[in-house]
Amino acid sequence: MSTLLLITIFLPAVGAAFLAAMTEAGHKVVRGVALTFSLGTLIAAGYLTWQYTELPMAAAEDASSTATASERENFAGVDYPWFESEDSKVSIHFSLGLDGLGLWMFALSALLVVVCVLVSWEAIRDRAAGFYSLLLLLEMGMLGVFAARDLLLFYVFFEFTLFPLFFLIGVWGSEERRYAAIKFFLFTFAGSVLTLLGLITIAIASSASGELTFSIPQIMANLKAAPMSAELQFWVFLALFAGFAVKVPLFPFHTWLPLAHVQAPTAGSVLLAGVMLKMGTYGFVRFSLPMLPDATVTCMPWILWLSVIGIIYGALVALAQRDIKRLIAYSSVSHLGFCMLGIFALNRLGLEGGVLQMVNHGISTGGLFAIVGMIYERYHTRQIAELGGLAKRTPWLAFFMLVMTFSSIGLPGLNGFAGEFLLLTGMFQRGWYGGASSAEFLTIAVLAVSGVVFGAWYMLSLVRRVFFGPLKEPMLHDGEPEVKDLSVREIASLTPLAVCAVLIGLFPGFFLDQMRGTLNDLSAPAMAKYEAHRDGEAPEVVQAASNMQSQPLIERQ
Amino acid sequence: MSSLHTWMLLIPALPLFAAIVTVALGPKFLKSKSHLPTVVCLAGSFVCSAILLWQVYSNCDDDGVPGGLSSFEEFFDVWTWAAVPDAMTQASPEAGAAQDGSANSSSFDFVINVTLRTDPLSAIMLTMVTFVATLVAMYSIGYMHDEPGYWRFFTYVSLFVFSMTMLVSVSNFALLYVFWEAVGVCSYLLIGFWYKKPEASAAGMKAFLVNRVGDFGFAIGIFLIWTTLGTLNFHDIEVDGVVTQPGVFGDQVIRDGGYQSFPAATTGVLTAICLLLFVGACGKSAQWPLHVWLPDAMEGPTPVSALIHAATMVTAGVYMVARCTPLFVASGTAPVVVACIGAFTAIMAGFIAITQTDLKRILAYSTVSQLGYMFLALGTASLAGVVGGMFHLFTHAFFKACLFLGAGSVMHAMGGVIDIRHFGGLRKLMPVTHITFLLGCLALAGVVPFAGFWSKDLVLSAVYDASHGDPATATTFTVLYWVAWTAALFTAFYTFRAFFRTFYGEEKIPEEAGHHAHESPKTMTIPLMVLGFLALAIGASEHWFVEFLGHTPSLSMERIRPAEEHGFNWTVAITGSVVAVLGIGAAAFMYLRSPGTVSSLTSTMKAAWLYQLSYGKLFFDQLYNIFIVWPLRILAHILYVLDILLVDGLVNLCGWIPRTFGAVLRPMQIGLVQFYALAMVLGLLVLIGILLR
Repeated sequence: MSTLLLITIFLPAVGAAFLAAMTEAGHKVVRGVALTFSLGTLIAAGYLTWQYTELPMAAAEDASSTATASERENFAGVDYPWFESEDSKVSIHFSLGLDGLGLWMFALSALLVVVCVLVSWEAIRDRAAGFYSLLLLLEMGMLGVFAARDLLLFYVFFEFTLFPLFFLIGVWGSEERRYAAIKFFLFTFAGSVLTLLGLITIAIASSASGELTFSIPQIMANLKAAPMSAELQFWVFLALFAGFAVKVPLFPFHTWLPLAHVQAPTAGSVLLAGVMLKMGTYGFVRFSLPMLPDATVTCMPWILWLSVIGIIYGALVALAQRDIKRLIAYSSVSHLGFCMLGIFALNRLGLEGGVLQMVNHGISTGGLFAIVGMIYERYHTRQIAELGGLAKRTPWLAFFMLVMTFSSIGLPGLNGFAGEFLLLTGMFQRGWYGGASSAEFLTIAVLAVSGVVFGAWYMLSLVRRVFFGPLKEPMLHDGEPEVKDLSVREIASLTPLAVCAVLIGLFPGFFLDQMRGTLNDLSAPAMAKYEAHRDGEAPEVVQAASNMQSQPLIERQ
Repeated sequence: MSSLHTWMLLIPALPLFAAIVTVALGPKFLKSKSHLPTVVCLAGSFVCSAILLWQVYSNCDDDGVPGGLSSFEEFFDVWTWAAVPDAMTQASPEAGAAQDGSANSSSFDFVINVTLRTDPLSAIMLTMVTFVATLVAMYSIGYMHDEPGYWRFFTYVSLFVFSMTMLVSVSNFALLYVFWEAVGVCSYLLIGFWYKKPEASAAGMKAFLVNRVGDFGFAIGIFLIWTTLGTLNFHDIEVDGVVTQPGVFGDQVIRDGGYQSFPAATTGVLTAICLLLFVGACGKSAQWPLHVWLPDAMEGPTPVSALIHAATMVTAGVYMVARCTPLFVASGTAPVVVACIGAFTAIMAGFIAITQTDLKRILAYSTVSQLGYMFLALGTASLAGVVGGMFHLFTHAFFKACLFLGAGSVMHAMGGVIDIRHFGGLRKLMPVTHITFLLGCLALAGVVPFAGFWSKDLVLSAVYDASHGDPATATTFTVLYWVAWTAALFTAFYTFRAFFRTFYGEEKIPEEAGHHAHESPKTMTIPLMVLGFLALAIGASEHWFVEFLGHTPSLSMERIRPAEEHGFNWTVAITGSVVAVLGIGAAAFMYLRSPGTVSSLTSTMKAAWLYQLSYGKLFFDQLYNIFIVWPLRILAHILYVLDILLVDGLVNLCGWIPRTFGAVLRPMQIGLVQFYALAMVLGLLVLIGILLR
């Protein structure tokens, strides 16, 4: 398995190198090669995911199960020393492995890259080899982020994703691509420089014994034994926040997002929304919750407020948009607000819902951006006012648009509902048993639920204006063929997303069960701190967080 | 029992299967035969429902527990939707002194199983839904023929029936919410079936959004149930015969007659839960203030109006409140609110219906009004009230479907025109439609012995009892009692106004109908005749219905049962007949005998602004637009401008600082070596100066 994990992550890099050597080849050859490599990666990633789900669930308080527990925490683990000082006091490892948190994002990244190759099939003809090469490099970075088990390795992959996307936007984007690319790069980079500082501080502060380790499991163990001081945690939290909050993006750090989305080529938008934003939420769950529990609890109300403002603000601003892509970009701000809300509700329902919602948003918004790309390819416009009644002309496109819209607005039976329902229940529970902050948290929860109403509003009015009503199409240029419905290739690119949306919608339990062990471990310190921190009155509710062991599903039927 | 499970599964499975087959084969192979899977599967589903009903009924009889407290329910898990173990821990009330919270607090698993249940309430709903759906599907063969998207129509209808049967079969609030929204989507898709019509797609969106506002309350209500009761299941969960997690309407609650075993469930919280759930019911069942979507929903094809927006989906709210009777009874004040909103909606919608000129919209407001009656009955929080409300739901499904399909038949013949000002005197042209519509009208107006009479009688008897019952609420219910009679008078009047204007008077046919205005084909008239017959006869099932429904677990709590049975309430029955005759007589006088009175009365009402209020639907749409929709839109644009100017402006400012700083310093780099040398010397001097100081 370990080899397979390495292959999965580096196969795209091989493909990228291969493509880089093919600059002379036409786009038809190039895209075939890119599809082959991305499909190969998807198959490998899919096999890994499948194998992971086959692992036995760790049984609670069962000594003999430690082996299986660590298997679920470090599946297909790879560990090579990467840099070690001579006295081996400082060690940086090239350490990769899958766990419940990274698993679904890992699989989703591999899936979305295939979708990206398919949606770029006709659109990218100019310098195609470079385009696909960068796309595959980006894939390597994304897969690496979700599998890294070493702080610095994580950071390397995290930053590495910026470069390919910078060029994808800057070279293959729309009119204002350069400005957008630079803004995207500087904004996110400025944040993540501080993140690096924070990560290094964590490593130094956790390895007090003189040995400097960057291994994430090691750091978690060390910090559990000897936590950092609350003050230091706070500053480190802020440093991490700088990078992750921009990435998410949390209100008010979101302004790079609409610009980058609008200017990016379709594939760039799909990956940006589908995967890149989740690196921010992923970072919070991976580092802030387990390593900085005190600071997490201190900052939680602020983050909840920013999230809920983002939910409503993003939704309202989306309502005012005239450009489809910009509308969906603002909807991302709103949706990521939901993810953050769930994660920082600091209870099991919220966290599991929030992490599931990360995957859900990748599917639905990835799909929506792909659909916008297809509209743009046909009509060369993204202006809502110039389009209308497309359901008549392109029924398949309308069908997928409806599915993705329903998924995005959290319609039951599709994936969005599962995540939203869980995380809102979690947030409400946090509010109901919030002690002194009860009223504040309940307000947040209720406001967040109202975001669901606004979400339906802007998405359905988008669908109504673009797909329903009398047919309205921009003037075609001379000699242009009449617009056709989706081709087989396009249907093939959207179908897997729709299938995933339905599967997660019908069986969210399966997806949650795979994450649970890891999430419980990661969130335990922060949840325990929260319970301890919450005002002096006797705890009415103890989130069963002090329990460090992952527990199996209790069957009570 | 296992055969029971088979029927329970088959009832929703068949429509789902039909939907899948139609979507797969419809566009390419079935084409104009796309109705086949739907009609066959819905009929099969109805047969299964009938068998299920019979089986449940025989099980109820077998119980034979004295005192009428027996109840029957059966449920089984299909799969686990999601399960989060130890999601919440509540402290036990006596745990205050404990130092370690976990020792004496109880932990709750958030487990949501896809559980199908059946009991008398579900079985009745299932039978009614599948029966009406089958007839409507048959009717649609004629009504929708030659429509582009014929297969699409039947796919949506099948999908709707699947969702609706699931809605009444699930045994969990989360899944109730799932299918609650699912029927909403089917409604959205069907209202917007003619998506090219801007009004249709706008109406679909409005329906969805208004429902979402209702669901906002519903969702918070569900969250509150979870945090208070630690479960979302209706039923108790047992392990080896021991109840590990009592359900919201489980045996334990029924036995206790309330929520004493749940420490967190205080009366205040229960009231909050009930009111929040009722917000959801208001959305789905079009009660004031969320009633505005239903009249617009008439943009959809008429069979859809009959099935979804009259007989089945809009009654989901009533079903839900009936299902939640134990919660409402325990809350005390919430039922009164339900009754008030219901009565107000009944009279308000009746008032609006009087002056409307669109036949389907008249019927839509009438639906809103009748749903108000149902809530009024449920609001009495007594067995008689809940059963009466449910019986009204039951009979209303048949006679209102009959009326809508009749209106559809008229619309079909009139070439799509539905404004009663443009046609008239159709009784000779469309004899079957005329007679069946008359049957429906008589039932709706509540004339003996038509179905509506019996159910309205039950509703008003229950309100009558409530007005002579608990002194705390007696006055309120006395007022509501008279409000309800006024609404009944309106009902009789507007129903027959529509009837007389459509079928009597001078024969008038709009141009759109062309020269081929004719009675509808057999596939349309047969469902009409069946429903017309039921509008006449279904009232006969009253005794059986009341008896049977009482076996529902939710309704078998001792505390909602009357201390003593009293016989038929003659006061209510006679008042009802008088009111119906009065209303019909007034309509007959005005529209048959002396049409002159209409215009003179209209001008009197216009002077008092009553006419404008009624005709303008009390201007709710305009009010909502001015006070909610537009301000939000304006806010959205303001925020967008702020986003660009302020938020992004700050970001750009941050980007501007280093650049400006650089620009200030840049002139120094002029490339003159002498300047650099000078700067170096000056710098050194300053440095030395500082060091030597």
